[in-house]
Amino acid sequence: MKILKIPKENLDLFVAVLPAFGEVYAPVRRGSGFAFDRPGRWTEVQMNYPRTILPPKKFFLPPRETTFKFDSSKGYQDQLAEATKPVVLFGVHAYDIFGLNILDRVFSQGRYVDPYYVARRQNITIIGVDFQPDDKHFAYSMNADFVESGFDLFLNDIGEDYLVLVGTSRGDDIVLMSGCLLQAPTEADFAEYKRRAGMRRSAYRTRLELEELPEILEMEYHSKVWEEMGERCLSCGSCSAVCPTCYCFDVNDELELGGNAGSRIRSWDSCLFKNHALVAGGENFRATRASRIKFRYYHKQRGFVAEYGRPSCVGCGRCVAACPAKIDIVTVIETIRGERDESRSGVAAKA
Amino acid sequence: MSEPKTVLIIDDDHDFVNAIEALLQSSGYQVRSAFDGKEGLHLARTLKPDLILLDIMMTERTEGFFVLQEARRTPELSHTPVIVISSIYAELPVFRVNPEAGWLPADLFLPKPVDPARLLAEVGRLTDAARSATSGSAAARRES
Repeated sequence: MKILKIPKENLDLFVAVLPAFGEVYAPVRRGSGFAFDRPGRWTEVQMNYPRTILPPKKFFLPPRETTFKFDSSKGYQDQLAEATKPVVLFGVHAYDIFGLNILDRVFSQGRYVDPYYVARRQNITIIGVDFQPDDKHFAYSMNADFVESGFDLFLNDIGEDYLVLVGTSRGDDIVLMSGCLLQAPTEADFAEYKRRAGMRRSAYRTRLELEELPEILEMEYHSKVWEEMGERCLSCGSCSAVCPTCYCFDVNDELELGGNAGSRIRSWDSCLFKNHALVAGGENFRATRASRIKFRYYHKQRGFVAEYGRPSCVGCGRCVAACPAKIDIVTVIETIRGERDESRSGVAAKA
Repeated sequence: MSEPKTVLIIDDDHDFVNAIEALLQSSGYQVRSAFDGKEGLHLARTLKPDLILLDIMMTERTEGFFVLQEARRTPELSHTPVIVISSIYAELPVFRVNPEAGWLPADLFLPKPVDPARLLAEVGRLTDAARSATSGSAAARRES
């Protein structure tokens, strides 16, 4: 892997060149939070942000998209062109890139490949940046604080500069276009990278033990913890919306007046929604909130392990930040593991 | 007699703006000016000028790049000819990215200090081409 460095003072010039590879989206302030959006000027770009409100998955699996249109006189017209617009995502954290790598397993590998997801994955350039963990991050515990692939470039803060890891040939093209903005790193730069990487690992205040968790979840299937959570959970689906790896979607056909033409729409769904497991005939396999929230935890920390070999949670902390009922995944898992007194924990995050 | 062409200058250097304004007005152009990117984009959307002269290093040294990107995303400005006039290559020797390498969605890049005769010729060329394209499209629509 090629490694270069760029002085922080030249990052604005580097970003100015990126539009050659697509529409640039970067983390900017959005109310009290942050979001990936098009910056109006360089100073709007936030290089040191804890997390965005929505993860980058919104670019690869849009909250709502038209997959194809149909017309009785014209047949089907796919909407793949929308998915091939070049985009540059600048400033993506490692756990979010890890989340995309997890989505790759679902949508771009195996028997059924999603052409819309694949088109976006091919046409979206990803430039990662490292981050300082806050009290909600537990990506280190989920082995998602560092990523080896899935990015075109990755920037690591080493003080006055960023160390730039080149991940793909497209990343190399960006480097070539940037000319003299990037320089060769020194041994001192590598030493600083290692020092800061160690400090970052030590900075995680929230840790989660994953050992034997799938088996423990199997044993605790009838734990009253799930009933308690069902009482607190509002089934709003916020956790699913903000999760980098939640990918459930609904499909609906919307007809035009006359009924001869329409569109097939794919939109985000959530296993927390009441009708998620509702089937024809009226049977609902997860009618209670307790059953739905249990399902989500089991899918993330057990079901996904069985199918893909690792949990689909990346430890970004967005669900903790977003939950209006203050349900904290770490607290729940610790309670299930018996590491926290159930009577005192209340399976809720600290206020 | 066709309507006079309008040129919008977006540049924070008041002396430069005054000089270019005088040059263009003496050649029959109507000229409006803005002294930062935000004001410039607002004026551009309102005026829909025949051509934009855009500086890069304003309040921020890459401000013009972002203004240009936003202009190209705006439907009514996506085809407006833009000439970037900047001293960025002289002032920032480390920035050696070729402006004609495809990353800068402008029609032309001219370094400062700009040759007035060259500027006039290019403004004339680009605005004539844009108006021909516009009238050609209008004629095609009338025929169909």
